[in-house]
Amino acid sequence: MKVSKAKLAIAAGTALMIASLQPAFAAEQKTKPILGIPSSAVASFGGEYGVHNWVESLFYYIMLDNRINYIFKEFGNVERQIALNTQLEQMVLGAKVEYQGASMSAAHADLGITMTQFNAVVEAAYNACERNQIPYYSCNHLIAALAPFTRVIVTK
Amino acid sequence: MNRAHTNKWRGLRGVALLLAGLASGAAHADWYNNGKVLLTGGVFTVDGAGGGGAVPWATISGYETRDGINASAGFTYVNVPALQDSVFGVNIGFYDRLELSYASHKLSLNLSNLDTVALLLNTLGIGGGTDPWNSTLQMDVFGAKLRLFGDAVYTSDSWIPQVSIGGLYKKNHSEALVHTLGADKTKDWEAYIAATKIFFPISTLVNVAARYTAANEIGLTGFGSCDSRLLTQGDCDSKKEVRWEVSIAHLVAKNTAIGAEWQQHGNNLDGKSVKVAGLDLTSITDILGSIGLGGLSNTLQQKKEGDWYDIFMAYAPNKNISFVVAYLMLGNISVSQDNNGFYFSTHLTF
Repeated sequence: MKVSKAKLAIAAGTALMIASLQPAFAAEQKTKPILGIPSSAVASFGGEYGVHNWVESLFYYIMLDNRINYIFKEFGNVERQIALNTQLEQMVLGAKVEYQGASMSAAHADLGITMTQFNAVVEAAYNACERNQIPYYSCNHLIAALAPFTRVIVTK
Repeated sequence: MNRAHTNKWRGLRGVALLLAGLASGAAHADWYNNGKVLLTGGVFTVDGAGGGGAVPWATISGYETRDGINASAGFTYVNVPALQDSVFGVNIGFYDRLELSYASHKLSLNLSNLDTVALLLNTLGIGGGTDPWNSTLQMDVFGAKLRLFGDAVYTSDSWIPQVSIGGLYKKNHSEALVHTLGADKTKDWEAYIAATKIFFPISTLVNVAARYTAANEIGLTGFGSCDSRLLTQGDCDSKKEVRWEVSIAHLVAKNTAIGAEWQQHGNNLDGKSVKVAGLDLTSITDILGSIGLGGLSNTLQQKKEGDWYDIFMAYAPNKNISFVVAYLMLGNISVSQDNNGFYFSTHLTF
């Protein structure tokens, strides 16, 4: 086990190095929902600070849900997941923010995420909106912007 | 629990996931699933199928995703001047792909003109298809729906809706009354195709369905019509036609929707007289006239069947129950006009 752990650490370290050296390869494209996303979308979340707060609430609700919390825990480094998600959410809502994480397909490819689990995250997203006093309609813009990722996230 | 370990050898992750799956499976059988987002399975239509109040949607009823099976039961009460209808039903959704449904209607028809004639004819000793003050109808509806393609909820970057086809078999048990009202058949099938899409930016679900049917008042007053003006059976016609139906539901919160529906109806019985004991009422006008009731003949002529309209509010406090209240505008029903009234429905999801 020790050997395996060491190997894993080296592999992870190498992966992180590559990722930090080549951010251009880690791109995720902004989705294109029909009917568009209003230019006020990020502002309705309270700007970057508000989006960050929302993502923190999202993870709070995710960690309460036994259907999905273990996936995020196993992924590790929740602080980094929150930081990357804050970038991603701003990007899909139309802010000029560079998302530095892996593409949605690369990040979820071998997790075997089910539709039930994806929906559980959506439920957590609505709970986070309610908790952060973000209007339901604004919340739907974010859901619309993230929904197309279903195709690559749900693999089971 | 294994799931809490974060730094395991990669190969162990699968084992951990499997154990987690088994652990959660202990609460319910493996096939059970209730993973849909609130209200995205629709509610309970009067046909038993999942959808709005009257209009079937392309969504598969229940809260199951493609990962499992979910069942539900519904009860609906309708009260308009011409009828009071209680509908019980159940439906099962399989893997968000196939839906099987059953609904049972128990309906009291309140056509006061018809009651008057029934009372009169009973007094005169002529049997009719209707008892005075007690014209009850019963109908069973068996349904199946198959999702063909599309995802009503998550394909937000495409105009392609979720599309399903469905079939309904309706068996009306009140043969005499159905024939009294001039219909041809008491049993018939219907087919429909429905397209549903949620437009997140406007928080609105839109559903359009086309139904191939010969129903009168969704089959509650039979299918097709007969032209017989004599004692013998005359020209009967129960040819099906395509009729359109639309539901629009606006979500004001994740658990509350308001909206409206329109369901096109046919005019099979337009201008047809109510027939009692196989007799067109015009044939017994003499009898009626001789006892001073000549005016009844006109009032027993049926009106053009009204399209159904409703406005509704649906509320789902959780995934186990939802409530719908609606105001119905059903127009002309048989000899009765302007049937506006209320609708209450509850959908229990397991």
